[in-house]
Amino acid sequence: MDYILNGFVEAFRLIFSFDPEIIQIVLLSLFVSFSSTLYGTLIGVPLGILLGINNFRGKKVVSRLLYTFMSFPPVIIGLFTALFLARSGPFGQFQLMYTPTAMIIAQTILVTPVIMGIVFNHASTSGYEVVQTGKTLGAQGLDVLILLVLELKGVIMIALVTGFGRAISEVGAVMIVGGNIRGFTRVMTTFIAMNNNMGQYSVSIAMGLILMTISFITNSVLYHFIIGDQNEYQD
Amino acid sequence: MNIKTSHIVKTYKQKEVLHLEGQHGELFFESGQIHGIIGPNGSGKTTLMKIMAGLIAPSSGTVHYNDHPLCQDIFSQMTYSTHTPTLFSRSVYDNIAYPLKIRNYEKELLHQTVNQLLEEFEIKNIANQNARHLSGGESQKTALARALSFSPKVLFLDEPTANIDPKSIQLIETALKKRNRDQGLTIIIITHNLSQAFRICTHLTFLDQGICLFSDTPEKIMASTHPTIDEFISFNRF
Repeated sequence: MDYILNGFVEAFRLIFSFDPEIIQIVLLSLFVSFSSTLYGTLIGVPLGILLGINNFRGKKVVSRLLYTFMSFPPVIIGLFTALFLARSGPFGQFQLMYTPTAMIIAQTILVTPVIMGIVFNHASTSGYEVVQTGKTLGAQGLDVLILLVLELKGVIMIALVTGFGRAISEVGAVMIVGGNIRGFTRVMTTFIAMNNNMGQYSVSIAMGLILMTISFITNSVLYHFIIGDQNEYQD
Repeated sequence: MNIKTSHIVKTYKQKEVLHLEGQHGELFFESGQIHGIIGPNGSGKTTLMKIMAGLIAPSSGTVHYNDHPLCQDIFSQMTYSTHTPTLFSRSVYDNIAYPLKIRNYEKELLHQTVNQLLEEFEIKNIANQNARHLSGGESQKTALARALSFSPKVLFLDEPTANIDPKSIQLIETALKKRNRDQGLTIIIITHNLSQAFRICTHLTFLDQGICLFSDTPEKIMASTHPTIDEFISFNRF
């Protein structure tokens, strides 16, 4: 038990020492995860809405594929991304392997189905009614899209936070395409995994606490936007 | 706006839900009137209304609006509201203002129009409430105020007073008759309440199992000897 308690003590010391390496790792993690969530949102939200509100042949197959991709293991995505980005792969000429860009690409592939699936699910169930109502009131084209995005804003927020949560917490994909290179592609999860393997539990616990704090902050923001919003109207 | 339907047929999953052929193959909904569509559940009333409102396409047959087929210009002059309206997740005020905002109404005119409707429908006290948290009657009044805000030429209503209190029903009926009288608004209303149909409608269309059995004045429906219509009227009396 002592090594766990000592680990926590050491963790707090490490956090408040503002170690430049720790700060750099946290900032890179946030940059990679925020970037992939942003790209995932830009791709997943419009596609999810488009597929959700329209009825077409093969929609059930599309939804099954989407839900399958939502639970795809990060290592598999990392592996496929690495195969494409490796020097001998189709995109080898761009020399992206073991760079933060490769990590962003892998995480974007990971989070896009998550964001798209959540938006698709809600757009399928309630989006059609909103679109029909908007149209009967005179909305056209862009008006309809804006209306739908505003009506689904709570769902989009949930999708965004879920996507970010998946991105920041995964280790498999970034380990394979990033390589955990110190000062260059090392992020919080790969740092924790590495130190755990080395038996350095205190730094692992410190990084774990930072990771949990970030998770708490993002969820608090979500709570403020969704639950806080509803309370405001119930006055 | 006159609306004329010709030989409308609608099929869902190989089942015919509407088949307007024969004697009542063509239905005429005259401009400036209040038309009621009545009949038992599953008779095709909502399907017919959605086809006329341009929300769904018929499997065969045509609908003409002042002798023209449906186009965006005509579509934007009509609106549709049901007994379970989809209100947007924003305040009652913003729901009513929505059709005006997308039509780029000036701020002052928008505010004046919305306030008039809030007062007319007696919902000023809930103007700032989120429309998703309203009672049935409040929702209906908000949906109707929103539908009327941009002064459409045709208003389609699918059971607008279902499950709401008598005072709200009276308020809604008064508002509808006023719009019809003052602005010549054409109203096409589905109702299960025969006494309401007689109170406000100038013309009635009776559907049963996707077929039109009758389309004429309310007085003439009373004189009908058709057993289905007779049975429907008898049940409504009690």
